[in-house]
Amino acid sequence: MSDAPRQEPDASLRANAAIDGELDAANALQFERDLASDPALRALHARIGAASEAVRREAPKERAPAQLRARISRMVEVQEVRPSRAIRFAHFPRALAASLAAIAMIGALAWTFRVADSGDDPQMQALVSGYMRGQVSGQPFDVASSDRHTVKPWLASRVTLGAAVVDLAEAGYPLAGGRIDIVDRTPVPTLVYRRREHFISVSELPAGRGAQPWRGSIDGFHVERWADSERAYVAVSDLDASDLSAFVEAFRAAQRGAAKGDPVPAKP
Amino acid sequence: MPNLDDAYSLAKWLSGNGTDAEDIVQEAAMRALNALERLTVDNPRAWFLRIVRNTALTWIAKNRPKAISLAGDMTDLELREDLALSEPAADAEQILIAAEDGESVRRAIADLPSPLKETLILREVNGLNYREIATATESPLGTVMSRLARARAAIAKSLGATR
Repeated sequence: MSDAPRQEPDASLRANAAIDGELDAANALQFERDLASDPALRALHARIGAASEAVRREAPKERAPAQLRARISRMVEVQEVRPSRAIRFAHFPRALAASLAAIAMIGALAWTFRVADSGDDPQMQALVSGYMRGQVSGQPFDVASSDRHTVKPWLASRVTLGAAVVDLAEAGYPLAGGRIDIVDRTPVPTLVYRRREHFISVSELPAGRGAQPWRGSIDGFHVERWADSERAYVAVSDLDASDLSAFVEAFRAAQRGAAKGDPVPAKP
Repeated sequence: MPNLDDAYSLAKWLSGNGTDAEDIVQEAAMRALNALERLTVDNPRAWFLRIVRNTALTWIAKNRPKAISLAGDMTDLELREDLALSEPAADAEQILIAAEDGESVRRAIADLPSPLKETLILREVNGLNYREIATATESPLGTVMSRLARARAAIAKSLGATR
């Protein structure tokens, strides 16, 4: 069961994000302006801040008991001198990894490991950031329209890459609008579709730049990348991974259908 | 070992007592060390707290199934009026005055349903940012934001009511 984030009043989410330093500069500035002009928002902001302060003050981080620290240090040391797998399984409580593990666990935060390369791809990061800004600001698109004949020319007038706007309303993904994301200092068209209370953004990039298919999650959002002969596409959403895959399927199927009778127009 | 303090604090809030928290952290450390033989991780702190959190949830389900039914699942959560983001009665000053009684703050935290409690603790006690909380709780960012907003609203409301 997921509690539906989009049903929360935006003001509360923004005020929380402001208190936690999670608004980017533009949104933080706007929030400060709103705060100055809106007494109700000020009161809300103060209440949330008070609740936050109360929790921090009265629930401080506790030091782990010395006994526990000693036990865990021992687990790590034992592991270092007994690296054989057979022994590890025979003595399960001692089945513990190398000093590498200890260092990671005791908080060597600067020591960064990699799960998947694409999660660090700056292009993907940029697109996820674009999506996140939309979520935080409550404004996931620059042009709001469910009509692709409105969204397509809007995007076409702003970016050099033509967006293939497909109609997925019948598949359960009405178009919500479009926006421009900036990737590698280049504006790229992004379509925003809706699925119940969730949004899915689909950005188009010139093919050849990081066009490897990829599926995974970045910063808690599910991301899927695929490509055809001309372009790469990146979909970002807070939907489940499987729901996002279903969307991507629908998008690609609609695109193949559209390619036959309704070719993407050339740029003006 | 700063991460052990984080892990212990989180486990203590989720399980409700220090003895259980020690067992949970020890088991989580074991799982973490084993897992690190096979994989590498991006953000060790958020990753380790995720293991602590999952270990705690498993531990609670096994040892105290009653606590789970009492806390309710997310469906009940939607219906719980005291967790709605409606206008609370108290203002910020009243909340802070009520918070002088630390026990009332701690009780309000302990009374939160587990999904809200873990989000609040990861933020306020462990100091994770939203993305790290999303990693630690395996939830989308929007869910993290929503839960944190509700958790704080519930604390504010609870403290406002104890004036």
